[in-house]
Amino acid sequence: MYAIETENLYKSYDGVSVLRGLSLRVRQGQVYGLLGPNGAGKSTLLHLLLGFLRPSQGELQIFGEPDLDRVRGRIGYLPERLRYHLRYSAREYLRYLGRFSDMAEPELARRVEQELAAVRLTEVADRKLSTYSKGMLQRLGIAQALLGDPELLLIDEPTAGLDPAGQREMLDLLAELRSRNRTIFLTTHYLDEIDMLCDTVGILSGGRLAAEFDVQSLRVPGRSVLISVDRLGADLAARLQDLPGVRCRDREITLLPNSAALQAQVLAALLQAGVAIISLAPQGRPLEEIYMRVVRGEPAELPAADPPPGLFAPAGHPDALAAAPGAPTIVELPAEPAPGRPRQGDTLLRELLGGDPDADGGAGERNT
Amino acid sequence: MKTVIRTSRFMAFTLVEYARSARILIDLLASVIFFYIFLRRWTSAPTPAYFFAGTSLFTLALSFYTSSAMLGLGDRPQGYLILARRIGRGGYLLGLYLAALSVVAGLYGLISLATALYNPVEGLTPLGWAQGTLPLLLNVALLNALLALLTPMVLPASGRLAVLALVAIAFSGNLIGGQTLAGLPSALTLAISVLRTIFSTPLLPAFTGFSLAINRHYDLVAYMILLAQLSLTLGLLSLGVYIFARREIIFSGA
Repeated sequence: MYAIETENLYKSYDGVSVLRGLSLRVRQGQVYGLLGPNGAGKSTLLHLLLGFLRPSQGELQIFGEPDLDRVRGRIGYLPERLRYHLRYSAREYLRYLGRFSDMAEPELARRVEQELAAVRLTEVADRKLSTYSKGMLQRLGIAQALLGDPELLLIDEPTAGLDPAGQREMLDLLAELRSRNRTIFLTTHYLDEIDMLCDTVGILSGGRLAAEFDVQSLRVPGRSVLISVDRLGADLAARLQDLPGVRCRDREITLLPNSAALQAQVLAALLQAGVAIISLAPQGRPLEEIYMRVVRGEPAELPAADPPPGLFAPAGHPDALAAAPGAPTIVELPAEPAPGRPRQGDTLLRELLGGDPDADGGAGERNT
Repeated sequence: MKTVIRTSRFMAFTLVEYARSARILIDLLASVIFFYIFLRRWTSAPTPAYFFAGTSLFTLALSFYTSSAMLGLGDRPQGYLILARRIGRGGYLLGLYLAALSVVAGLYGLISLATALYNPVEGLTPLGWAQGTLPLLLNVALLNALLALLTPMVLPASGRLAVLALVAIAFSGNLIGGQTLAGLPSALTLAISVLRTIFSTPLLPAFTGFSLAINRHYDLVAYMILLAQLSLTLGLLSLGVYIFARREIIFSGA
C-alpha cells in the first residue's frame, strides 16, 4: 500500500488545466520531493491531497483510502504560509489545536512540550505569536503539523519567504524529521531542499510527472567547478592557465573537467602561493541539468556515464593526482545562473569532495 | 458528540481571540450607550413594549457588527485550513456563529439586568421577560445565520449578490410603490408583485417574531411563529454548512 497514490489525475480551474493526467506513487516511509516551476501545480496537488480541492477527473488515495476525510487525522500539513491567530502564545495555540483533535491531558501537555522543544521554541512558548519572526512562525507550523504524530506529512514550500538564516534553520529541522521515519511529501522549487532532504524527486511539468529519480543517484559532482579566491596574481593565473582545462578570470578559476587530478594540481598551486580559497562551487549539477531539460520539454535522463572523479582518490588509484589526459577545451560558463538558490557551503563541499566512502574499495569518490 | 465538543471548544477559542482583539470593547461601549440613552436616563419606567422594541432593534444592529467582525476573524484561509481540518468545516462555521450569537445574547442579558436594577420595566415579570426574549433572540439567531451564509468563505461573490438581490426584491414594497408601480405595464406590475410575495415570505418569521417580542401574546399562531423562526434559522445554517463543506478552497501562499 502506498502512502499517496494518484492515477490519471486532472484538475482545472475555470477551464484552465493545471494537472493533466498526473500519476504518482509515494511509498510509506519515503521522503518525496516534488519539484516544479511556479504555477506547475505543486500546491494544487497538495490541496487535492488535503481535500481542499476535488479532482476534475482521476483517482486519488491516501493510505489506500479514497475518502480523505477518513484519513484526515493521519496527515499533518504545513502550508507555505500559515496565518496564525496572533493573540495566542505558541503554547496556548498548540494546546487548542490538540483539543480540537480530541487529544486529552496529560498526553496533550506532553506532546505540546515535546513539539515545542523539537522546533526549539520552548523558551519563547509563552510569548504572543504577534512577536514572532517569520522563521519562528514557520517552525511553529512544523510543530502544529507534527502535534498529532501524523504518519504522513505534507509540506508546501517550507522555506519560501524566509531569510537565509531562517531557511537554514528550517532545513535543519526538516532534516531532523527524517529520523522520525514518517512519510514526507514536500513541494519546492529549491534544488538544495531536494538534495538535502529527499529520497526521491519528481519533476512536475505540464501538469504531469515529467521525471522521477532516486536522489542518491543524482548526488554526484558537477562537470566543472568554479573556485573563487581572495586574490589571484597575474603570474599565478598564467601558471594555472598553462594547465589544460583551467581558465582564470578576475578572482575565479574554472576547472573543466572536474577531475581529481586537475583539482589537486590547482589547489596545490593555490596553497603554495598562500592564496585563500573563498568557495568551491560545482557547476552543472545533474539535478539542475535534468530539471532544466524537463522544464524546457526535453527528455530527462540520468547522466549516461559516471561523473568525473573527485579529489581524494587513494594513492595508486588511476585517478589519483594524474594529469587529466585529453582534457577538453574550456568553454564559457553560461551567463544565466541555473534556477535554485545560491548554494550552501557545506552542500557544495559534500558534492565536491563527498561521495560513498565505501565505493571502489574505500575510495572517496566514484570512478569514470 | 465529538463534533459538539470540538465546536464548543472552537467557540471558546474564538471568544477568547475576540476579547483579546479588543473588538468586544466596541460591543460593550455600544451597549452602555444604548442603555444610557434609551433605558437609563428616563425618569419614568419604560413599558414592556418600549423595552422589547428598543432591545430588538439594538440587538439586530449589534449582530451586524459582532457577527461580521467575528466571521471576519475566522475568514482567513491560511488560518482556518489548519483549524477546519481538525474541527471539520461544519464545526468551524458553527463555532464562529455560536460565538457571535453568545456575545450578542450576553450583552442583551446584561442590558436586561441593568434595566431591572436601575430602571425596572413597568409590570414586566420574569415570565413576561422570557416570553419577549425568546422571539427576540430567535431573530438575532436568524440574522446571524444569514450573515454566516453571506460570509465570503461560504458564498462566492456571485452567490452573495444573488441572495442580496432576493432580499432587495423582498423589501421592494417599501421602496417601489404607489405612483411608480402604477406607471409600469400591468404585466410587469403583476410579476413584481408575485416575486415580492414569494421572496418576502422568508422574512415573515422575522417580522412576526418582532411583533411577538413586543406584544408577547402567546397563542397557537405565536408558537407557529417561533417554529418558523427556528426552522428558517436552522435552514440557513444548514445551507451555509453544506455550501462551506462542499466548497473548493482556493488560496495562494502569498
